Amino acid sequence: MDPMEAIKQTFFQECEEQLAELEQGLLAIEGGETDSETVNAVFRAVHSIKGGAGAFGLEDLVRFAHVFETTLDHVRAGRLAPEADLLKVMLRAADVLADLVRAARDGGVVDEARCEVLRAELGAFSGEDETGDGDDGMGELDFQPLSFEPISFEPMAFEPTAIEADPFEPIGSELAFAPELAAADGRTTWIIHFRPHASLYAHANESALLLRELGRMGEVETTLDDSTLPPLADMEPEGAYLAWTVRLTTERDLDAIRGAFEWVEDDCDLKIEREGGAAEVASVQGPDPIELILAKALASAPAPTMEAPPPIPQIAEPAPLDVAALIRKAQAAEEPVLAPANAVPAPAAAHPATANAANATATTATIRVDLDRVDRLIDLVGELVINQAMLAQRVTESGLGRSSGVVTGLDELEHLTREIQDSVMAIRAQPVKSVFQRMPRLAREVAAMTGKSVRLVTEGEGCEVDKTVIERLSDPLTHMIRNAIDHGLERPDKRIAAGKSGEGVVRLSAAHRSGRIVIEVSDDGAGINRPRVKDIAIEKGLIAPDAVLSDEEIDNLIFLPGFSTASEVSDISGRGVGMDVVKRSIQALGGRISVASRPGLGSTFTLSLPLTLAVLDGMVVSAGSQTLVVPLTAIIETLQPKAAEVHPIGEGAHVISIRGGYVPLIDVGLALGYSDEAVEPAKGVALLIEGEGGARAALMVGAIQGQRQVVIKSLEANYRQVFGIAAATILGDGRVALILDIDALVAGQKGLESPAPVLRTAAIG
Amino acid sequence: MNDAAHTHHGRELISFRIGAQEFCVDIMAVREIRGWTAATALPQSPSYVRGVINLRGAVLPIVDLPNRLGYGVSEPTARHVIIVAQIGTQFVGLLVDAVSDILTVTDDMIQPVPDIAPEAVKAFVQGLIAMDGRMISLIGLGRILPDVVQEAA
Repeated sequence: MDPMEAIKQTFFQECEEQLAELEQGLLAIEGGETDSETVNAVFRAVHSIKGGAGAFGLEDLVRFAHVFETTLDHVRAGRLAPEADLLKVMLRAADVLADLVRAARDGGVVDEARCEVLRAELGAFSGEDETGDGDDGMGELDFQPLSFEPISFEPMAFEPTAIEADPFEPIGSELAFAPELAAADGRTTWIIHFRPHASLYAHANESALLLRELGRMGEVETTLDDSTLPPLADMEPEGAYLAWTVRLTTERDLDAIRGAFEWVEDDCDLKIEREGGAAEVASVQGPDPIELILAKALASAPAPTMEAPPPIPQIAEPAPLDVAALIRKAQAAEEPVLAPANAVPAPAAAHPATANAANATATTATIRVDLDRVDRLIDLVGELVINQAMLAQRVTESGLGRSSGVVTGLDELEHLTREIQDSVMAIRAQPVKSVFQRMPRLAREVAAMTGKSVRLVTEGEGCEVDKTVIERLSDPLTHMIRNAIDHGLERPDKRIAAGKSGEGVVRLSAAHRSGRIVIEVSDDGAGINRPRVKDIAIEKGLIAPDAVLSDEEIDNLIFLPGFSTASEVSDISGRGVGMDVVKRSIQALGGRISVASRPGLGSTFTLSLPLTLAVLDGMVVSAGSQTLVVPLTAIIETLQPKAAEVHPIGEGAHVISIRGGYVPLIDVGLALGYSDEAVEPAKGVALLIEGEGGARAALMVGAIQGQRQVVIKSLEANYRQVFGIAAATILGDGRVALILDIDALVAGQKGLESPAPVLRTAAIG
Repeated sequence: MNDAAHTHHGRELISFRIGAQEFCVDIMAVREIRGWTAATALPQSPSYVRGVINLRGAVLPIVDLPNRLGYGVSEPTARHVIIVAQIGTQFVGLLVDAVSDILTVTDDMIQPVPDIAPEAVKAFVQGLIAMDGRMISLIGLGRILPDVVQEAA
């Protein structure tokens, strides 16, 4: 790949991350987290996208991001309160920004009118200059040169002084006593020496904006230092030759001023001092010159060029020279050099923002790995597990005693193998957040289309699950959220009439429960309209007109193929594919779906999914002459039935009484065609299982061989799906064993889903 | 190996026996040849699908080729052979009595199948090859596996 193209790909990948962060941040602000860290994260996301887009000449993206950034900047500076209205606009702006990024990546076109509307809306919020900018392109003029030609020493470099700085103001003698005056009116005069490096422009930052930012903080007096400007002939087109000295009178503190330079600190010489004395000095050269010089001398390490801690008062009252302390400090000062991503770990630096920043950097220590490599590793570990099991079995067969060194070594090998397997699986595990975070946008769009008001609440985003599960979760979840809003929630007027808040709540939550992940989508709408569901099912011939169904059974009718309750086919849902598709895709993942609904209070859809598609804890049983694996999660208990407890019910069907209740009894060997005769109750073992939706059944098998973790192998890879079988695995003796698909077995027996054929073929098979 | 010199002119086929008859498949489709191991039976499968075996960690379906071609169900012994063939992206094991030879043939040596042949033969036999007085049927592998599930049962 052309290297530029590769960089661009990386940029787009990062954009996706930034966009996710942006949306998340905005939602957090909407939820009341208006602390500066969150606002900064949002700002940073938009800023990074803008910067990168500038470097690649993605004009549309830059223009939009710029307006967005400006508005965010106002929020960051506290000039705009993050009110609900503003956040709604910003969330929509984030959607447009995402579309623009995707359009830039995939070459699509974004509705220009939509961008324009949002640009205007954002402009309206940020006020003054931006409204003008957004409309007539003034902003672009002001802006374009900086991103596309990182330096331009032409008029624009001088612009800020011309536009922003106040005309010369004679320095009155009283100003020399600024520190004292400052105490009087809360304003301090700072002298800021700012000399950008060429890299600052290369990173798509712009001095003019920084100076303007200072201008917003108070009264400024800016002096340009062009002393290093070479003759035109010697000038590097991408060099940086200008420096500024800004005299700023403001009530804002040092941190606020430093904040303006937050993004460029590494790319400039910056020195901020209080006028009239060196009482408070903050320069990127280091926290405490005297100590640092000593530190340098002692540690012969370069000075840290990172975050400077807030002023240290020691200068005011000279501390006695404690050499030991200085050596400690020297060592401390060395660390930032070794690990430049961390802020100076001196105690003085421990103010919250810096600490957070350091944490944030620490958590992002990740690498990008090609998924194929991970999958290959997982396959190999799977082989290793099987091999280890085979080896163990051979050793057992060879009759070596428990005490022999071989057996002990083998035990250790087993532990290690298990640990390797867990660790490798953990590589593929991802928080469900990556799917969840796509949903707020969907909810907004569906809400806008249906004219409903929706708040999407997400919980448990940190729950981790295998990547394959996550990938295949996106479509069903999308569908369910759409359904919840489109069918579940009522219109605002109806809601209010029903005594509820006009805004509907859709809750999306994830939690780990007994080795599975349980995802719930619930709404506080009207609940399932059971009479209507039943009517439709009868109308469509899905059930007999005189069928007597429990509420639960009626609710479950919506999962039948071809069932769609929307009386009018809407844009959003009701394209003929419905919950049956959702159900099938969840089942394909080895998951279950169920619904609970309360009239007037809403419905809850519960998905229960395996954490990984690679391994499974199973009970190894024999049925007929075959060895089968039953997923352990489905088994509630095992029991030894007595002949008297099994009763025939109709032709060929049996029930077993368990503690007074009757549960259908399925002879596995018979159902799968492995044997012609049912196991005699007293000679076999019954497994009481719970299928999807809580349906119980007892599986009759010949014997239980034991429990083990098995590696799931697909049957479809080389063959096709087989009734009653979920997948295959390889046991310790190297033979293939089949993993039972409990739900299919139960459904096949019940005759609800795939009625006659299953039973008939089962008899033949 | 009759005429190794002709290799780059024609195609190489692997020939095998089923009872007294000889058949062959394109050698490019054959991945390996291995001895018979007991297969795990699959429920609800056609009689010619013997089940699945473990091929170095992959689950490999075994097709009883004689049965697929309309003969009776095989009674595999240790002397039987599994030809592991690739069909599209899938791998499948073909149970045959024995592998006999590698042939090199040119396209003009392959004769069409006469119309009188039974349906089961016509479905899988692509052509006939006469060689040293023997008749060898060329098997096309495309339809060896049962059709994709007609309906999601």
